[in-house]
Amino acid sequence: MDRETLDRFRQGDETAVKAVYQRYAGPVFSVAFSLLGDPDMAADVTQQTFIKAWRAASTYDPDRSLGPWIYAIARRTAIDAHRRRSFRDLPLTSDPATVGEGLETAWEIFEVRLALEQLPEDEREVIRLSHLVGLTHGEIATVLDIPVGTVKSRSHRAHRRLRGLLKHLEEA
Amino acid sequence: MTPEDRIVAYLEGGPPEGGARDDRLDLLREILAEPATWAEPPATLQLDGTSTPLDERPPDRMRRGVLTGVAAALLLTIALALMGGSGELPVEEAVVAMAGTELAPDANGTATLRETPSGWYIRLDVSGLPPASEGSYYEGWVWDRGEGVSIGTFHLRGGTDPVALWSGVDVAEYPTIWVTLEDEDGDASASDRVMMMGELAEGP
Repeated sequence: MDRETLDRFRQGDETAVKAVYQRYAGPVFSVAFSLLGDPDMAADVTQQTFIKAWRAASTYDPDRSLGPWIYAIARRTAIDAHRRRSFRDLPLTSDPATVGEGLETAWEIFEVRLALEQLPEDEREVIRLSHLVGLTHGEIATVLDIPVGTVKSRSHRAHRRLRGLLKHLEEA
Repeated sequence: MTPEDRIVAYLEGGPPEGGARDDRLDLLREILAEPATWAEPPATLQLDGTSTPLDERPPDRMRRGVLTGVAAALLLTIALALMGGSGELPVEEAVVAMAGTELAPDANGTATLRETPSGWYIRLDVSGLPPASEGSYYEGWVWDRGEGVSIGTFHLRGGTDPVALWSGVDVAEYPTIWVTLEDEDGDASASDRVMMMGELAEGP
């Protein structure tokens, strides 16, 4: 995001906050959904995350990347939601402090979603049909009504672009 | 094939036959296959507690005690409650901002909650909500993800004096407050016509 938007966000400007939401709502929701397994709770956590970010905007250092800062708030908020649910729903013998197994991959989920949203829509769709839906190139060609060759080249281009956006994760 | 090409090929199609596995690339492929990675977040963020567009899909028919639908997930909470940092409700009183939905965009108000020996007294002060026509009425509910409890009915045909409602359940366990529009048809279950909503919130 541009420096001007980040500065306005830091000042609590609502338009800037909503721009931050547009950019990071998807990754935050993916993390919350992955950790909690409940879309309603994930939606609540998403809204709460950005309210908290808005309230704490003055503490954000615009010289640092906004993504990790938003992610940290989202992670805490999701953990809190999990604990509240655990206290209410689980038997007394359960450990209410234990979060879902996905916590250790939450950052990767955040980054993958962020990278996906930077892909052109046609490339993102090929990746979605390939990985999430599990279609072959031929099946994707049928669904999208495009030649198989186009699917192959689009898929390769998409994965190469995705690899570039996520290279830092592999090297971490 | 360059090392980069091999990585891209692995990411796209998995490990080569007979080849070594790469834990990091396997993790990325797992994440790409997860529904959570692709799920859509709430469409809008509301920062001022005013009416907000609900989910476009019509909510399921709701039954007394069991409310379904994802509309509440889109409602932002602006709580004026007298809450401490722990997020727990005080014994004395809590005030919740109520916002109109797309069915009543001009409606707004507050719900003041006070615990008494008989249960939770809920005073509803509303404006902009039209009187319920003859043969219909409004009903208040406290709700929490799949479970709802009625807190009383009213019509507003004589004016907009504060409405007295009561909850026999702990409102901290049912932190969302709904107002629905009901028909006098003998059906005790909640309709899907949600007119106003409010929610108790925790501090940051």
